[in-house]
Amino acid sequence: MSWQWFHRLGSPRWFYQTSTRWLPLLALIAAAVLVSGLVWGLAFAPADAKQGNSFRIIYIHVPASFLALAGYYIMAIAGAVGLIWKMKLSYMVMKSAAPIGAALTFIALFTGAIWGKPTWGAYWVWDARITSMLILLFLYLGVMALQYAYHSIDAASKAGAILALVGTVNIPIIYKSVDWWYTLHQPATIKFTSAPSMHIDMFLPLLVMIVGFYLFYAVALILHTRSEILRRERKTAWVRELVQPNVGEKA
Amino acid sequence: MAQSINSGFTPWLKRDLLLAYRRRGEVASPLVFFVMVSTLIPLGLTPESAQLAEIAAGMIWVMALLATLLSVDGLFASDYQDGSLEQLLISPQLLPMPLLGKITAHWLTTGLPLTLVSPLLGLMLSLPAAGYLPMLCSLALGTACLSLTGAVGAALTVSLRKGGLLLSLLVMPMYMPVIIFGSATISYAIDGLNWLPPLAILGALFAASVALCPLAAAGALRITSAN
Amino acid sequence: MMQMYFASFQDLLIMDGHGIYVWSAVILSLLVLVWLIVVPLLSRRALLKDIARDVLRERARQSSSKNNQGEV
Repeated sequence: MSWQWFHRLGSPRWFYQTSTRWLPLLALIAAAVLVSGLVWGLAFAPADAKQGNSFRIIYIHVPASFLALAGYYIMAIAGAVGLIWKMKLSYMVMKSAAPIGAALTFIALFTGAIWGKPTWGAYWVWDARITSMLILLFLYLGVMALQYAYHSIDAASKAGAILALVGTVNIPIIYKSVDWWYTLHQPATIKFTSAPSMHIDMFLPLLVMIVGFYLFYAVALILHTRSEILRRERKTAWVRELVQPNVGEKA
Repeated sequence: MAQSINSGFTPWLKRDLLLAYRRRGEVASPLVFFVMVSTLIPLGLTPESAQLAEIAAGMIWVMALLATLLSVDGLFASDYQDGSLEQLLISPQLLPMPLLGKITAHWLTTGLPLTLVSPLLGLMLSLPAAGYLPMLCSLALGTACLSLTGAVGAALTVSLRKGGLLLSLLVMPMYMPVIIFGSATISYAIDGLNWLPPLAILGALFAASVALCPLAAAGALRITSAN
Repeated sequence: MMQMYFASFQDLLIMDGHGIYVWSAVILSLLVLVWLIVVPLLSRRALLKDIARDVLRERARQSSSKNNQGEV
């Protein structure tokens, strides 16, 4: 009984039609949360005692890092669902998640580097977190490149899913190794954030930004998946019906 | 004829060793690369013994990694081209075992020679005496890990043209823990610390790779060879 | 209501010298986020136009073949 619901969930057409209805509202909420969180963090939250105002970059850097990592797992789970249940829609979500995650990883690296300059005097410091983020970027680029290299969509999706899953197993190993490597060479561990010991007035806007970034990710993922659906399903009847208004204008 | 769960390992190991022997010029090129690049390092940096000694451990490991990366592309390439890979896929044996045989042959013809030649490089790069035994142990275990994880990448890219560069991009993240703990083993020994813990972690990585990589490579081959 | 941390809008921009870092980080990140939204929107529009062109072409081919059948 419930499997019916699950398999309906796997229909690209259902996804496209449902998202057409709900996307505007979701986008509005995401924008509202992001804007309010950003304004709160940049203008209203108190400055850090040691770092001064440059710490405000945290309101973009930390949420981006969270989503970069979470996004990889979302991509890998989508790949796994595609491999196990052979769901086309799941593969489309996996393909869409890759560039979004890579862009967020890039934001995390970039904001981390800018933050590093006033705080530690250097744009790039090979600490555990930045190095792990860089490796995460390579993992994303690998999944994107592998799918791009295959001509057959089916093989591309399956290969990408396998690579994403292999990466999932590797991420904790890589993070722990890099962490260990860093403490080996730098006795004093510098932490970018120590959230629990943050003052509540600084922590609340961070929470809002994290929620906002999650909502943004959902919106971006839905948008990219919709385009991918149109691309792959263009020969089907329901997509042809969708473009009737355009055709009607020209006819 | 009874098929055991381990069948396929020895035949394919022997086959690949024989094939490698027939192409021994080709197979030796990663080794030659390994030795040649170690000449580039003093030329590029400094001939001073003290400074070379500081970076020797890491540099030897980086070069071993690059040399393995060069060679892992050929793991399935020639078999894919002449059709024997397809034969392997339709044979009744469980796929991971023949693959493990092929990977073992690959290690015996690349990783093991690298390991055996490394003391020579240690000499050229002024590696401190305490580093030699750890270097041999870490390279032996580490190159095995590199061959195993490299096989997964090779399986994913076997049917692509110009898959070599993509292969490097794919396996690099998986290689990073190996080089971290491999070179740390040597550095620990040089600094007078107990070098067994990082070596043990390397051993754990090896154990996990032996268990998982043949399975992952088998799955990848089934999918990508159908392309 | 909360008080803004900075005394004036000017102070918000400068942030005691750190303004250039914070604002360049913010602006660049916002650019990337906007790009992530704009690209799929544009591609969707392009796809719909492209599919419409396909449909038109198919209709033209069908109607021309019907005409040919009529003549034969």
